[in-house]
Amino acid sequence: MLNSLLEKIGIQVLGFLDKAGDFAVVSGRAVAAIPRRPFDGRNLMRQFLAVGVNSIPVILLTSLAVSMVFAVQLVYGFKQFQAEGLAAQVNGLAIIRELAPVISGLMMAGRVGSAMAAELGTMQVTEQIDALECLATDPIQYLFVPRLLASAITLPLLVCLSIYVGYWGGHFLLVAVEGQSSVIYANDFYKLLTIRDLYIAMTKAFVFGVIIALVGCWRGYRTFGGAEGVGNAPTSSVVTSSLWILIADFFLTKILLV
Amino acid sequence: MESAPVIDVVNLSKAFGPKVVLSNVNLQVNEGESLVVMGGSGTGKTVLLRNIMGLLTPDAGHVAVDGKIIQQLGREELFETRKKIGMCFQMAALFDSMSVEENVGFALTRHTSMTPGEILNRVDECLEMVGLKGSNKLRPSELSGGMKRRVGFARAIALKPKILLFDEPTTGLDPVMTDVIGRIILGLKLELGVTSITVTHDLKSAFEIADRIALIFRGECIACETPEAFRVNPHPVVQQFLRGDADGPFLQDPPPPRREPRETSRSTFDPLQSV
Ligand SMILES: Nc1ncnc2c1ncn2[C@@H]1O[C@H](COP(=O)(O)OP(=O)(O)OP(=O)(O)O)[C@@H](O)[C@H]1O
Ligand SMILES: [Mg+2]
Repeated sequence: MLNSLLEKIGIQVLGFLDKAGDFAVVSGRAVAAIPRRPFDGRNLMRQFLAVGVNSIPVILLTSLAVSMVFAVQLVYGFKQFQAEGLAAQVNGLAIIRELAPVISGLMMAGRVGSAMAAELGTMQVTEQIDALECLATDPIQYLFVPRLLASAITLPLLVCLSIYVGYWGGHFLLVAVEGQSSVIYANDFYKLLTIRDLYIAMTKAFVFGVIIALVGCWRGYRTFGGAEGVGNAPTSSVVTSSLWILIADFFLTKILLV
Repeated sequence: MESAPVIDVVNLSKAFGPKVVLSNVNLQVNEGESLVVMGGSGTGKTVLLRNIMGLLTPDAGHVAVDGKIIQQLGREELFETRKKIGMCFQMAALFDSMSVEENVGFALTRHTSMTPGEILNRVDECLEMVGLKGSNKLRPSELSGGMKRRVGFARAIALKPKILLFDEPTTGLDPVMTDVIGRIILGLKLELGVTSITVTHDLKSAFEIADRIALIFRGECIACETPEAFRVNPHPVVQQFLRGDADGPFLQDPPPPRREPRETSRSTFDPLQSV
């Protein structure tokens, strides 16, 4: 009884280590393949479109919603000790330091990470990845590199957009609804922040972009088992990359902030 | 002294879990030679080709292409070797997010410095060979099964590789198109000196294109000889395979009993009688 339980746990742990090792190897190969020729500009542009341009509406809406809800909560909270004036400052702090990078990262994990896993998964089970190998094309170079570059470069830009939208979301709530002064809001939003906070936000966004692309592509690349396998790949990639985004966020904050 | 074989399969064994698919297979293909591999469905012909391509790793033995042992090559060298090999997949394995033209021209775009115009010419040439002229802009989802197979064939030969591996290139094609594919394979051999391995179930085209025929039976290569010798091979499995008869040692389980066709139905459906 106990033996079989231990055995099961052991198998689970070994399986996890196996996967982690494989992920590390594949990721290393993907990074090493970035400067390798031939350079595939068309594919890269297509990925920029898919990851970047097509994500703008999602980022816009979520950032607006989150920043407004947060402003409502702040105003309500600070009202209890007559400090509504602090709402703008804290809102700015929260948006730039945490909300914009993390919310954008999670949304993108759901939007593009899952799409990558599904696409590569389908290619795997229909032998298209084998066909790439046979046409002397490294699937990791051909499929991973454009997605990795697009995701790592686009995510910081999307986070900038998210911050900008968040600023106006807070502005709408605090100035238009709560009747605070717009000049004071514009000053207060950045009051608790330094330029370093923007760097930190961009670093986070970059790391999240790398996580999303690598996990999504890796999960798709290692798909097996037909339609069911393809069905599992996006789900598992979203869960895994969301988890890693949150873990990375904690450590990045801890390391970069002090 | 005889030159080394271009493809050298040495003591190759491969099993999936407890299921042994290939055991101790030896095959040599010399330069400019066309080998046809036959065998029952599920005997490991595709597995053999995938081992040669380096898509699967053998449990024992090895495959050498041009004197290089595939399983020992680094990724870069492996891709260099694969540039010399064209492979035609059983299920075509076309890139379904690309058009027919992009599929056929894929290797040309990536591995040659040809201009887009030159690539287009070569793509048109290949598509014309397989009777698909003018299908350039179609997507794989808009093609029939046989058309997909022919596009896969065109993609395999586009780069003019020295070595070609065909996995059932004619299954699912009509008899006329089967003959066309057979002629293309023969033409490639005679004009360009291509070395090829063709897996097929079609006896007629097998005897046409083969310099040697190999038969795989229960994971072993039980015959590998010229078509003439193959035809008169006394091995009961070979003879049963050539007759296409269900009775014999070929099947593991006994086949369903033979039933004589009824007289009436035979006369009604005889196509020659109505002429
Ligand atoms: N990836 C795999 N995992 C497990 N078993 C496999 C795998 N690939 C092939 N097999 C097994 O190996 C055997 C040989 O398969 P293979 O595809 O080589 O057959 P084949 O000779 O090409 O048959 P056909 O003429 O029908 O295409 C089959 O019985 C199959 O069950
Ligand atoms: Mg097969």
